[in-house]
Amino acid sequence: MRSINPFSLNLITLALLCSGTSALAADFGIQHANTSAINQASYQCKRCVEPQGHSGSVGVSVGAIDADDNHAINQLGTDTDGAVAGVNSDVAYQGSGYRANVQAHQLGMDNGFIQMQAGKPGQYKFDLDYQTITTNHGSNAATNLWQNNGMLTPSEQTRILDLELQRQRSGIGFEYDFASVLGLGLSSYARYNHEEKTGHRSASLTSPSPINFANAVDETTDKFSAGVVLDGSNWLSELSYHGSRYGNNLGDLSLPYAPDVYSATPDNQAHQVALSGQYRLASSVFSGRVVTGRMIQDQDLVQMSGNPIQNWDGQVDTLNTHLAATTRLNNRLRLGASYDYSKRDNRSSVFDFAQYEYNPVSGAFKQNTPMDIDRQTLKTDASYRIASGYRLQAGYNYKQVERSYGEREETRDNELWSKLNIRAIDKLILDFGVSYSDRGGSDYQANELTSEESESLMRKYHLADRQRSEVNARASYTPLTWLTFDASTYYANDDYNATDIGLTQAQDYGYDVNVHAQVTQPLAVYAFAGQQWIDSDQSGDQASVWQAEIQDEFINLGLGATYSGLMQDRLTLGVDYLFANSDSNTGVNGYSSDNYGAYYSYNHSVSLYGQYLLSPQMALKLAYQYERYFDTDSASVTPDSIAGLITLGDLNHNYNAHQLMLTFSYKLK
Amino acid sequence: MKKIITAFTVGVISILGLVSSVQATPWDNLSSEQLEARLVDKFSAGKYSTKGADSCLMCHKKNTKVMAIFDGVHGNMSNSKSPMAGLQCEACHGPIGTHNRGGKEPMIGFGPDSKLSAASQNSVCQGCHNDPKQMAWHNSTHNLEEVACSDCHNVHGAKDPALDRLTVNDTCTSCHTRAKADMHKRSSHPMKWDQMTCIDCHSPHGSMTESALIKPSLNETCAECHADKRGPFLWEHAPVMEDCSSCHSPHGSVNENLLKSRAPQLCQQCHADDGHASRVSSQAGLDAFSAGKSCLNCHSKIHGSNHPAGSNFAR
Repeated sequence: MRSINPFSLNLITLALLCSGTSALAADFGIQHANTSAINQASYQCKRCVEPQGHSGSVGVSVGAIDADDNHAINQLGTDTDGAVAGVNSDVAYQGSGYRANVQAHQLGMDNGFIQMQAGKPGQYKFDLDYQTITTNHGSNAATNLWQNNGMLTPSEQTRILDLELQRQRSGIGFEYDFASVLGLGLSSYARYNHEEKTGHRSASLTSPSPINFANAVDETTDKFSAGVVLDGSNWLSELSYHGSRYGNNLGDLSLPYAPDVYSATPDNQAHQVALSGQYRLASSVFSGRVVTGRMIQDQDLVQMSGNPIQNWDGQVDTLNTHLAATTRLNNRLRLGASYDYSKRDNRSSVFDFAQYEYNPVSGAFKQNTPMDIDRQTLKTDASYRIASGYRLQAGYNYKQVERSYGEREETRDNELWSKLNIRAIDKLILDFGVSYSDRGGSDYQANELTSEESESLMRKYHLADRQRSEVNARASYTPLTWLTFDASTYYANDDYNATDIGLTQAQDYGYDVNVHAQVTQPLAVYAFAGQQWIDSDQSGDQASVWQAEIQDEFINLGLGATYSGLMQDRLTLGVDYLFANSDSNTGVNGYSSDNYGAYYSYNHSVSLYGQYLLSPQMALKLAYQYERYFDTDSASVTPDSIAGLITLGDLNHNYNAHQLMLTFSYKLK
Repeated sequence: MKKIITAFTVGVISILGLVSSVQATPWDNLSSEQLEARLVDKFSAGKYSTKGADSCLMCHKKNTKVMAIFDGVHGNMSNSKSPMAGLQCEACHGPIGTHNRGGKEPMIGFGPDSKLSAASQNSVCQGCHNDPKQMAWHNSTHNLEEVACSDCHNVHGAKDPALDRLTVNDTCTSCHTRAKADMHKRSSHPMKWDQMTCIDCHSPHGSMTESALIKPSLNETCAECHADKRGPFLWEHAPVMEDCSSCHSPHGSVNENLLKSRAPQLCQQCHADDGHASRVSSQAGLDAFSAGKSCLNCHSKIHGSNHPAGSNFAR
């Protein structure tokens, strides 16, 4: 935040303000205030009641969870099963010019955090935080491969485990503002974050037939950021560094009879230096940024016949530049434009490596192909107020991407869009949007590296010609001060008009409606509903051309209420219900039904709670949450039911979960 | 039945009571333009009160919302940068003029009931808050859509919902309802219980990256949490290095792993090698191609492989 002396009237800005008041939006910034007649010495604040000392609340939660499946941790957001306990706090301290706060949420559970900040506002701030995030991607995974010290040992005994990952994050940061010391608009910051991720994730190896296994995860990521910010009355600049280092504590995996069948994710690091700035001139604002970066990966490679090097010197240099300008010509018209250029320059070494699979083009050896990408984006937009309450926006975007070693070396995207915002009707807000984009580019051809491998009619969807049309509308109606309706709808169509093999069309459409009512002072109710459909068509060519239709459908319903007027306003009751159903139906070769197999999930979530004020300081909250969760995927089969494939077994879920939580909180002030 | 009628009557009376209690300001009859013109004149005239906040609190002290300013940093009188340490209430609401003589002269107001344009409301906040977080504000979608600072932020209170990790998602999804629904799809980032927040990826004040992402590119934003997929890898999968969203829908998907489609169909939208990638798979769970992890049964290092013989991402 900039240091402002409200009593130094800037005559130039005042002149601009005065001359521009009839044409431009008002600028009520404190630096423009006419303070010539102020006598601040006579200010009094007898009625001000600035709290000193501690305020906020602290509390503890204890609860019990009964879940048939450890996957319930995703649905309950707390812990897996059994008894749980956690600490909550939201405490602030203020005094003698210092401020501090501590916020904790479910600290001690598998998902929880604590963050602390302290400092002297306007001068410095110190902060610490710690967070755990636990997610379950599948429970009861069955594997006969026992992983230990880089070896996957087959066993007669089946191991059952969860595909669960836990992140433990900690961070420390410091900000210092030199303004009060040096009298300059100079501030600085530094931040360090450390994350440890452990658990298991689903993986697969081939030796020679595929075997799915639960791969142990033990990795760390360290991030460091630092920067200085320099500003003046109408400009601002920042010079910053950001570094990130990823380390995998586990190495390549071997089978007793096949060494190094699965390469470990290599350590890597990325460094960036960024210079950004903003300059304001009357009603125009200019901003820009240059970021130069380097990504490095030089992990030792698996040593094998046909590998000519010990470790690969992977290095990618990046450059991102951005320039933007916006100007308000008058109180009706605003113009904006931006230009972006980014470059991914892959400077990694190139060697020939022996492959296990014979390739008709490259034979037994293949050369790595370090990919370069150049992007340019130009955006222009205009906003015009047609009349009071009616505003029309329009814009044109151009995006060009050049890439090496691709089937299409260059793609060009042209997009036109427009929006109409209507605020002229009392209590009603209306927004309409429409856009059309067309992607083309250089000739699509399989290059020398891929020509023998790819079907000549295949057009990869991220490179293919595409015409995209989209319309959307939104309305918000507030007929009464206590009642609000919101509704929105959208339709988008992607037409891959030059594609015979590959994704040929995709449609995405849906709606959602929301209503909120503060029926009486103590009673509030809400409800919402939304649906989305994504229909995709694609074709493939084996001996003959085949078609597939994918019909994705999602529905989301919810309602709830809170009532806070019971027992002399001491008791608050609440209820929330949510239903979500995700469904994907795939039909191959003309079938539009779900003949490809079941692939859907649904959940019912019910939450009931009551909070009773024991005293003005103390409150007791009892909350019950019920989750009914089901998901199925017909691709999930028992470990050895398919010849030549070993899976992790049936990873589908079908469970009920209950959580009862009692929270005591104490208000400090 | 009698009870229902009684309850209904009480409800209607309560509602009417609530509606009638909403107080209209004396300048409600002014249009947005008229109001702005009046306020600009007042601002230029600079007739500030002689006693500062006490002049305002003489009438507004009983309003708990007004007094809540002292619970937050904007009411901090010991911080030289706080408005309460400077022009106090008038630092944000403008010079009092003759407002305290009957309350009929307009003041700069904020929030959904204010007729003042978002740009003019925001100019008050931006007078002080022009730091790197706001550097790209003027070209941001929120600015173009005329979102006011007060639509998300609340300075009259101990907690600002846009700055609290437990409420920031609710703040964003009160408008971004589609993103809210996406949190409940079969796969999504852990947003539902606020383990992750919208601002872990997006900068609501705008950024110099597409979709207001916090890092210079989309892939670098994803790598903030998924550094293991950052690379560079000896063998790169081109669409992965070009754009994570080639295959993933970051807000949520009806497919596992936030994928746009499931394998093998997703892979077959780009790969049609004769006799292998393009083989027709009419039912899941029938063979090694359609069961388990499908294409990823063999090509498991799909984000890139560092094995010398891993050009097809199989090891």
